Amino acid sequence: MSGPGGDGGEFRIGVDVGGTFTDVVGIATDGAETLAKAASTPHDQSEGVLAGLENLAAELNLPLAELLGRTARVVHGTTVATNALLERRGARVAMLATEGHRDVVEMREGLKPERYDLRMPPPAPLVPRRLRLPVRERLRADGSVLAPLDPDSLARAIGVLRDEAVESVAVCFLHSWRDGRHEREAAAALRAALPGLHITLSSDVLPQVKEFERFSTATVNAYVGPAVGRYLDRLAARLEGAGYGGPLFVILSHGGVAPVAEAARLAVGTALSGPAGGVAAAVALAERGVAPDLVTFDMGGTSTDIALVTGGEAALGRGRDVAGERIALESLDIVTLGAGGGSVAHLGPGGTLQVGPRSAGAVPGPACYGAGGAEPTVTDANLVLGLLDPGNFLGGRKALDRGAAERAVAALAGRLDLGMLDCAAGIHALVNARMADGVRVATVRRGVDPRDHALLAFGGAAGLHAGAVASELGLRRAVVPLFAAGLSAWGMLHTDLRYEIARSALDAAGGLPDDAALRAVFDGLEAEARARVAGWFGGEVSARRGADMRYGEQVFEVAVPLDGLDWDAPGLSARVRDAFHARHRALFTYDLPEEEVVLVNARVSAMGRLPAATPSAPPAGRAPAAPVAHRRVHLEGAAVEAPVFRFAALAPDQALEGPAVVESETTTVLLRHGDSARMDGRGWLDIAVAPAAG
Amino acid sequence: MVKPPPPRPGPAALDPVTLAVLDNRLRAIVEEMGEAMLRSSYSQILNSSRDFSIALCDAGCRLVAQADHIPVHVGAMPWAARAVAEAFPDARDGDTFLLNDPYHGGSHLPDLTILVPVFADGALRFWSVVRAHQSDIGGATHGGYNPGATEIWQEGLRVPPIRLGEDGGLREDLLRMLAANTRIPRDFRGDLMAMVGAARLGRERLSPLLAKHGPERLDAAVGAILDLSERHARRIVAGWPDGTWKGEAFLDDDGFGREDIAIRAVVTKRGDSLTVDLSGSDEQATGFVNSSFPNMRSAVCMAFAYLLDPEVAKNDGAFRPLEVVAREGTVVWAREGAPVTLCTSHCSNEIVEAIVRAMQNCCPDRAMGGWGRRFRVAIQGRDARRPGRPFVWHLFHARPGGGGSAGGDGWSTAGEWHSAGGLKFGSVEMAEARFPLLFERHEYLPGSAGEGKHRGGLGGDLSLLVESDGPCRANTAGDGARHGAAGINGGEDGAPHDYRLRRSDGGERRLRTKEVGIAVEPGDRLLVRSGGGGGWGNPAERDPAARERDRREGLA
Repeated sequence: MSGPGGDGGEFRIGVDVGGTFTDVVGIATDGAETLAKAASTPHDQSEGVLAGLENLAAELNLPLAELLGRTARVVHGTTVATNALLERRGARVAMLATEGHRDVVEMREGLKPERYDLRMPPPAPLVPRRLRLPVRERLRADGSVLAPLDPDSLARAIGVLRDEAVESVAVCFLHSWRDGRHEREAAAALRAALPGLHITLSSDVLPQVKEFERFSTATVNAYVGPAVGRYLDRLAARLEGAGYGGPLFVILSHGGVAPVAEAARLAVGTALSGPAGGVAAAVALAERGVAPDLVTFDMGGTSTDIALVTGGEAALGRGRDVAGERIALESLDIVTLGAGGGSVAHLGPGGTLQVGPRSAGAVPGPACYGAGGAEPTVTDANLVLGLLDPGNFLGGRKALDRGAAERAVAALAGRLDLGMLDCAAGIHALVNARMADGVRVATVRRGVDPRDHALLAFGGAAGLHAGAVASELGLRRAVVPLFAAGLSAWGMLHTDLRYEIARSALDAAGGLPDDAALRAVFDGLEAEARARVAGWFGGEVSARRGADMRYGEQVFEVAVPLDGLDWDAPGLSARVRDAFHARHRALFTYDLPEEEVVLVNARVSAMGRLPAATPSAPPAGRAPAAPVAHRRVHLEGAAVEAPVFRFAALAPDQALEGPAVVESETTTVLLRHGDSARMDGRGWLDIAVAPAAG
Repeated sequence: MVKPPPPRPGPAALDPVTLAVLDNRLRAIVEEMGEAMLRSSYSQILNSSRDFSIALCDAGCRLVAQADHIPVHVGAMPWAARAVAEAFPDARDGDTFLLNDPYHGGSHLPDLTILVPVFADGALRFWSVVRAHQSDIGGATHGGYNPGATEIWQEGLRVPPIRLGEDGGLREDLLRMLAANTRIPRDFRGDLMAMVGAARLGRERLSPLLAKHGPERLDAAVGAILDLSERHARRIVAGWPDGTWKGEAFLDDDGFGREDIAIRAVVTKRGDSLTVDLSGSDEQATGFVNSSFPNMRSAVCMAFAYLLDPEVAKNDGAFRPLEVVAREGTVVWAREGAPVTLCTSHCSNEIVEAIVRAMQNCCPDRAMGGWGRRFRVAIQGRDARRPGRPFVWHLFHARPGGGGSAGGDGWSTAGEWHSAGGLKFGSVEMAEARFPLLFERHEYLPGSAGEGKHRGGLGGDLSLLVESDGPCRANTAGDGARHGAAGINGGEDGAPHDYRLRRSDGGERRLRTKEVGIAVEPGDRLLVRSGGGGGWGNPAERDPAARERDRREGLA
């Protein structure tokens, strides 16, 4: 068997469970990449995973047991936590709360979405109020004990948990970010009284000040934890039964991977496991030379995910809402727009043309699927414009009905007093504009100007829209990887072990801790993080430091990277302060040098580099591929005969000029007038985007 | 070498697709401006409580697009643009304007408004507008709310439209003068810079759009967008029965002994139009519950927006079906010089409530139970942990409940009509770490909601122990300790607010909603029991299962 880091075997396998398909990618030591698919099995995702592995073994002409026996590591992305939240099928969960503060999560800091909708009913909380059980105890902000943990109120709470057959409990006490002792004492009593109860401590999940974020994150962990734990146990058992003895890693919301036991412990950290693989792939492609600064553009059927890669690193955010619940863990900053290939074009209530957010979904799907859909979708518009080949969609596995698409688009065109082709072009243009607007809003939030980024397009629908979206944004390059189909699963094999730890370090006197205190808090965190990762594998561990800081009464903190500081030299505190001023200036154009600076959270991430596969060598000098066909496409109001190329057949350095269409089994790329492209031997189509008119 | 401008399509080229693209684009611009503001503003009141709004107006000062932040700002922004346009017919590219004067385009003094004109082809095309509530604006009390004021000059610094800078710069001397008139100059300057940044971002985004499409085509698009909103709103109104209905709502008092001040709305609906006549409202008051004219107009727009579908774009077109009649000298439209600082809360909430009460007879399924009233408390004192740094803390916790509606029960602790779940309260832990305060209890207040087929949301229950270094002073500013949020369609009113000060020796008194200079000693407690939302529909029709759930959940 290989070592604990999984670097001894011949194969590495990434498994991405999507809504419809489970993608399995195997990479051999020589860099050869193999993709297999199986239908996803929502009732138990591990069945689909095994089926996918069987298919991969078949592709490689190996018995499954032999493939798994020769596999160094398996990395997995799962949507079990996300689905449990979305479908409200998590555990029967309770909360122990500091007496007098049990409504924190349901209060949502006083905020309600949809400002002008006063008739929308409030959502049901994950934990009903009667299971939010008060416990008498209280710490102060400095960690001193105002009231010790009261055993009687704890016993009463335990009685309710028993009577109500609660499966999982979140312990949420005020100021446990400073000191988790009361939460730990309560946990000990819970374990003794109710063996088998799933217990989450808020101080364990997120030892950070701000009770709403900490309690909400802990509650979600309690809610999804049992389901994620059971699932990962089942998956591990199935893999073992099939002959696998190596490590099983799970990709987490922050884009790094961790062993299965860690994913089960911090189940809430898998909430973005699904889309994380795509961003990990973008980081890997950035490293391979695509560009250090990327906007990822993952356009699927119902939605489009956007993320930023800056200087070769994926941007992380300080939390997000999933299914309306706040998860305040550091996670990939993925913005989801409610429009994709299946989005329905319609007349909005105000009378303007709209695309999405409603989607035709998989059933009935776009009108051209011929499954009963009568409303025009983006895919229908693209088909009407000739951008898609009705006979070669998904590699010919799905025949498209052009007539049905034309009828659907024509019906809408009639209501808008437009010609059918103009209406189709309008749908195509409008979805491009919406995507561009979405990227703009997402980037300003991070203080990033996207114009010097390249657009990295993947996902089935992205190739037809990438050029237009890029030019609308003023981007000069769009890149479409050849290996777009299993990109998420592929990305999982190109990311590293990672453990994120953060702790609030608020100084009661305000301002910044002194040099010694700063060193102590960061050294402590780093030791803890390194030890955690060192326990996962035998390789070298690196660590990075950062802080969340702000001015006086500001409430949003700014993430300040603190790598590259000399931590031993005197004047540390002043240099940390300067780093914050500089970061604030870079983000918001101004700083306030006279003002009090507050360090809220100290952060350390520890990373264990997993051995990466050698990229496969570019194919030897091939003759440039000739077009396989010519097709009439409608671009900018005129029909042209555009050459159609097979993506996989393009020779390294082959140059293409728009208008042209490049097709693979899973995506179609459009080169517009003025776009030019070059096939990069390392596996992607590099498009020089024609600037937007005007 | 000067590049000739590219040829542009004429207005006739405006097709439904371009229209949809431009409509999206304008909305995305205000959203982007809002994001920039949120991330860069300095004070707690802005970046935590989000008390700011963003708008784009066209050259005719019509509201074109606005970001969904604070509803009470929605209809007020065009008045600011008008005031600047009138005062500065010579506005130039690169100018930055500022105002807050409620008698010259503002709503109340704490709300500063920055306006940046956007030019194309040598003519003014748009106003990029950012309004934000400052944590202090000078005057007799910190925080801007002075219940003792009997004239506007006691409320703070008055800024009629001024040119704050030109050629892309700002006048440092003016900035210094403005900041010198506020108690927290660093907050003031930080927030003002964030506002200017967000307003300029609007200009940066509009300019390329103007260059690409040309001003005429953009004008045509704006006209079409407004017309579509108008048609959308009129279509909804046309579905309601014709008639005339009356509704009234009462302010507790004006802080000078005059109680139960009436706001009266007579709403007449004919065809696809509404006339709201507020002229029967009581005469203006001595204290700061009076409304300025723009704020009154905005409150009427807010009520109308709540009654429409949430999807109706909030712009000039949507409000065209609305005619407003009011009389200067009444509490809803005070004569110049009267104090008005409370008006964005009160009496704008009462204007909304009077209109909704009238409309429950016209469109009962759209009318909603009353949302709570604002009752603020600010405490100023010293913290032994941070010597030399006096603190000012504003109460945003223990919000009142929202109203029940046809959609279901009301939102608990989601706040007042004027913000409707848009104002965030900060973290209790952070407050305890930063202020000498201990939040002994902060939960829902059972029994506070107005009964109904769908009950109101619950108010909050806060017990706050003051642990300051030496005595503090507190002010209150608000309303709703006599009158609870209105029940609608037979629903019952929510409980009114009940705020108390309990002395460390056990003595206790109820706080009035408009007090200044309350002496607070270490060891005293502020006991806040905020009002619940109004119920909707006959309580006898309440689903017994919902009643049982409330009992089990400890909310009854």
